Amino acid sequence: MNKFLSFSIVAGLACLLGCGKSSDATGGSSGGKKLTIALMPKSKGNAYFISCKKGADKAAAELGIELIFDGPTDPDPARQNEIIENWITLGVDAIAAACENKEGISTALRKAKARGIKVITYDADALPDAREFFVNQATPEGIGHRLMDEAARLCGNEGEFAIITASLTAANMIEWQKHIEARRASEYPKMKMVALRPCDDLKDKAQSEATALLSANPNLKLIMAICSPAVPGAAEAVKQAGKTGRVKVIGLGLPSENRRYVKEGVTDSVILWKTEDLGYLTVYAAHALAKGELKTGDTRFKAGSLGEFEIQGDNLLLGKPFVFTKENIDQFDF
Amino acid sequence: MDTERHGFKTLAFRHETVLLFVLVIEWFYFHSVGPRFGTLDNSYDILRHSIEIGLLALAMTPIILTGGIDLSVGSLLGLCAITFGKLWRDAGLPIPVAAACTLCVGALAGGLNASLITWLRLPPLIVTLGTYSLFRGLAEAITRGVDTFTNFPPSFLFLGQERWLGLPAQAWIFLVVAVAVWLLVHRTTFGRSFRAIGFAPEGARYAGIPVERRLAMVYVLAGVTAALAAIIYTARLGQAKADAGTGYELFAITAVVLGGTSIFGGVGSVHGTLLGVAAIAVLSNGLVHARQPREVAGMLTGVLLILALSGSVVPKMLATWRTRRQIPREIQQSNTT
Repeated sequence: MNKFLSFSIVAGLACLLGCGKSSDATGGSSGGKKLTIALMPKSKGNAYFISCKKGADKAAAELGIELIFDGPTDPDPARQNEIIENWITLGVDAIAAACENKEGISTALRKAKARGIKVITYDADALPDAREFFVNQATPEGIGHRLMDEAARLCGNEGEFAIITASLTAANMIEWQKHIEARRASEYPKMKMVALRPCDDLKDKAQSEATALLSANPNLKLIMAICSPAVPGAAEAVKQAGKTGRVKVIGLGLPSENRRYVKEGVTDSVILWKTEDLGYLTVYAAHALAKGELKTGDTRFKAGSLGEFEIQGDNLLLGKPFVFTKENIDQFDF
Repeated sequence: MDTERHGFKTLAFRHETVLLFVLVIEWFYFHSVGPRFGTLDNSYDILRHSIEIGLLALAMTPIILTGGIDLSVGSLLGLCAITFGKLWRDAGLPIPVAAACTLCVGALAGGLNASLITWLRLPPLIVTLGTYSLFRGLAEAITRGVDTFTNFPPSFLFLGQERWLGLPAQAWIFLVVAVAVWLLVHRTTFGRSFRAIGFAPEGARYAGIPVERRLAMVYVLAGVTAALAAIIYTARLGQAKADAGTGYELFAITAVVLGGTSIFGGVGSVHGTLLGVAAIAVLSNGLVHARQPREVAGMLTGVLLILALSGSVVPKMLATWRTRRQIPREIQQSNTT
């Protein structure tokens, strides 16, 4: 009886593993010289990366390559390293990673590079010596210009506006704000920035700051929120003050967090890159790198149906951020 | 009596054999689907990736043998990792000194668990649930959650990333600890007293075993081992951050229980734990080679655990059920004769 039991345990396990095998077989066997590209998100369940994967899958189908998409499902910071080290042994042709721990993951990526695997990063960069290219979803200049252009368009190129930022000391915020100001001075001199308020990356604080801005500046035409919690925060303030439509709200944030306000007409536009395009471009770039078609020093890169992209140094630029409005926001689910 | 003991012995033996068998099957299966699975490189990957959890599982085995548990080891790994980083980078201590101090911090933390458990007689589950949050919280407070220690010298990273005498460098440390814990549990009176405490703490006390001192010993040992794991972890990743080792305590407990150690204490073995660690590590690595997504590993680990455990309980239940059925027949037979 006991023998039977231990046997059934083993048989059961073998069955389970067998199931794994059959589903693998339907997934397409990796025969021949099909290139294998491994794509790693920061974390696997994140809607942002799931929509990146959509674009990546499309690119993989067009290129006829095998795409492995795997990443941490738990918050263990060592997990990204382990998966990459497994991929090295597995012998993938290229690795594209969005890095959670810059320094930590670089150790594993350098090892991959040393073994002749092509490495690129996307979304969040590693240390520059650990990868060949970084697919940069948005430059500070691109973000700054897009925000200012959008603000000017909504205000008819003149009037007062205010900015809500995360903090007055955050490097990326300062950088963006610098480009917003440069664009304003050169293109829209009749626009006037009347206030710059920090919200500490909190929605509540953004809301109270926006409320204060509204009462202090009766001629205010637009609030620009440049950190993601501030966009719904500012929108809520405008809505509660009954100034929907008279004071416009725009900002940098996720479509999903702002869908409600955009549909109600409180927020006019939300600015972000198209994550699907990010995944698509990343896979195309990894593929070209593995084939030797993309080299250091190139200045242009053509990625399938999306056309040409610019390369600045070792940064492959996704281009101008995308504007989500009432018309298109329902097509995006991140 | 004698036959029962004998039967029990073969049962304990059988659990580990089943596990070994499972391991061999895992190995052959993954070898057949993943061409690179059986390479030496990959075997070293498996070894390197399982050493920190392996160390924690080794330290957890004597604790569970005494009927206790330590939920704080993963958090302590995080605390020790950043202590080590802080001592090296901010206090400017040389690596060996920083490492020695980190081991002391581990011992102190283990001592805190031990004193709460032995002096205040609080249940280990409650005590270590508290220190689980406390240690992680301390680690986050010291670094404010964002500070990351990195740029360690190559001579230190060697420990986690290079090979020495043909094996990954950290494997030698693991080997020494494994042998030491095995000897402690299986070849000394300490080991026997752990089991005695696990079976019946009051009985052990009446038998003259210094229960408190033995308990303190296993928790301090776990603290030191967690600190050692933290140093190896830092060398492997090349970075120390407050979230190091998140969730490792559960992996370690899973490995111990999978290895046949009873969660109620008294029964279990160190080689069982080692097999448990190996079974989980091979599964998680092999699934990558079988091109299966990561979440399948968690699922199959769960299935493995449930199967292995019911595999060692169900035969016992069946045996009692059969004897119960046999008794009336025997009575009938004795009546007719």
